[in-house]
Amino acid sequence: MLDGILIGLSTAVMPVNIMWVVVGCFVGTFIGMLPGLGPISAIALMIPITYGLDPSSGMILMAGVYYGAVFGGSTSSILINAPGCSSTVVTAFDGYPMAQKGQAGKALALAAYSSFTGGTLSAIMLLVAAPALAQVSLSFQSSDYFALMLVGLSAVAAFAGKGQVVKAWMMTILGLMLATVGIDKGIGVERFTFGLTDLMDGFSFLLLAMATFALGETLMSILKPEDNSISQQSSVTDLGSMKITKEEFKELAPVSIRSSILGFFVGVLPGAGATIAAFLSYGMERNIAPKDKRGEFGKGSMRGVVAPESANNAASSGSFVPLLTLGIPGSGTTAIMLGALISYGVQPGPRLFIDNPEIFWSVIISMYIGNIVLMVLNLPLIPYISKLLAVPRTVLLPMVIFFSITGVYLVSFNTIDVFIMIAIAIAAIFLRLANFPLAPLLLGFILGGLMEENLRRSLMISDGELSFLWDRPITFSFTAIAAVVIITPLLLTAFNKYRRRDLKMQESN
Amino acid sequence: MPLNSKYLLSRDRVGGLIFLIFCLTYGYQTTLIPLFPGDEYEPFSARTLPWMLTVAGIFLSLLLIVMAQPNEKSGAVIGFDWRLLISFVVLMIAYGFGLTWLGFVLATSLFLLAGFWILGERRKSILFGASFPFVTAFWLLLTKVLDIYLEPGYLFLSL
Repeated sequence: MLDGILIGLSTAVMPVNIMWVVVGCFVGTFIGMLPGLGPISAIALMIPITYGLDPSSGMILMAGVYYGAVFGGSTSSILINAPGCSSTVVTAFDGYPMAQKGQAGKALALAAYSSFTGGTLSAIMLLVAAPALAQVSLSFQSSDYFALMLVGLSAVAAFAGKGQVVKAWMMTILGLMLATVGIDKGIGVERFTFGLTDLMDGFSFLLLAMATFALGETLMSILKPEDNSISQQSSVTDLGSMKITKEEFKELAPVSIRSSILGFFVGVLPGAGATIAAFLSYGMERNIAPKDKRGEFGKGSMRGVVAPESANNAASSGSFVPLLTLGIPGSGTTAIMLGALISYGVQPGPRLFIDNPEIFWSVIISMYIGNIVLMVLNLPLIPYISKLLAVPRTVLLPMVIFFSITGVYLVSFNTIDVFIMIAIAIAAIFLRLANFPLAPLLLGFILGGLMEENLRRSLMISDGELSFLWDRPITFSFTAIAAVVIITPLLLTAFNKYRRRDLKMQESN
Repeated sequence: MPLNSKYLLSRDRVGGLIFLIFCLTYGYQTTLIPLFPGDEYEPFSARTLPWMLTVAGIFLSLLLIVMAQPNEKSGAVIGFDWRLLISFVVLMIAYGFGLTWLGFVLATSLFLLAGFWILGERRKSILFGASFPFVTAFWLLLTKVLDIYLEPGYLFLSL
């Protein structure tokens, strides 16, 4: 393990990779700050750039963009009450009231310190947890992988939010269906290509990610009438002091550590991710806060900024655990990274740790560097970065559209791809309007190929018997978890409906 | 349960119906996937996963149709600027054609210019400053620094 760490360290401290971390953190912070564009879009916009880099540099850049975007989202939450991404929605609960009280600088500094704590602590936990898990997962067989992917896909749907579970499953299935387009990898026949040569290779994952997220989100903000809150942004010009007193530090340090640990473990769970981590830690801190502090929550409590900020950064590092060790992404963001790894020709999964130790370790090591960069870069630059929020929408939106279209065009040099992308983006808008979550679609699409491959092997080995799902204890436990995750929300919905009907009956009586 | 059209044709239910039709088409297309002789006796063929997905998709869309919620509950919002969106879609399609016919620099600059204009930008410094010089700089970066070959537009090739 030590030699692995050393390989990772030597890769991560190469000047070019340090440059990518800095670039990634900066670009991520900027894109994450724009209301409407989240980490998924930020990473999707980076894919074309990473195609020209080494796998390690590419992953380092993407990781930098990821935690930069999570951090950037908090800036717009605090300053203009318009969260850049869902994981920083909670930060706005207390961050924006603080800004209104003239403590914007303090809130931003707290967000930066807690992101740093969250990121660093979870990088340490990642350093310990990832190799251990990778060792265990070396004994996995195809059937285990298949069952594990079932867990991953069903968990993402289960965390999709109230009343959206069925829709999230539908999107997962749609993603899997899109993954079947093209030449079949088993026997090499064409599927769903309608005789078009452009479809023989299947849909490009870059195109799908760009169309559903980067382009889709931008078109959504064109569709929405101009938000008044965004034009108010320039009003917060006076950030106030950014200093934090010793007493405050003493009070807030335990909050940050608790939230980081919670955030990391939530991040490791497939499907949960940064948003849920932020909500959970906010709830936890509110419940365990002393009585006199509890009333402050929602009105500008410092604990209310520290808790979600530590947790969401910790969770974004945590979500790398399943990605790096099992090759199963737990969120839309890590799904895109998995897609990028696959297009590098790197086999993700437990063998990554053995075959490509430089990627595995350099990504982990670069997280420490990234967190320091975020802190050093962003803390003094916050007053200037926040000015970027004032770039007019009229310039920003066409630019983002241009970068998304060019990103796809410059990879294939085929304008058909541009048209397919526009069509998918329009479909994505309708799906968004009907409240269908799109991250499961991406996850299904990226896992589709691997899932079919593992299912094929398992069915071949078991001679067509489905018993492979419960023959091995490991497979059985994954299958059982998947079944529980799938059935529970359905039962809950049915139960709630039944209870509501019961109540209505009682009322009418 | 009120049986008016507002409830029956909620957004969820329409979505479910469209997905059902999509799954049925997918299922039909699955039957057209060619198989090698003897593949039907194999435990796994190119049709196996598509079949599973079809069945799961049909089940889920029926489930959504049954469990659909009225628009107010599902959080649907109205009051969007459709005209702006449509003009942007048209602009993007034109950009796609422009890339082939006019070449990268001209097509992109015009796209950005029109995009700023449609969104209501009228300051000349921004309209022209953020389009032509920016795109030319980007083009120089691509062709001279990154060494990416960009095809000139057909219009110029035919001249």
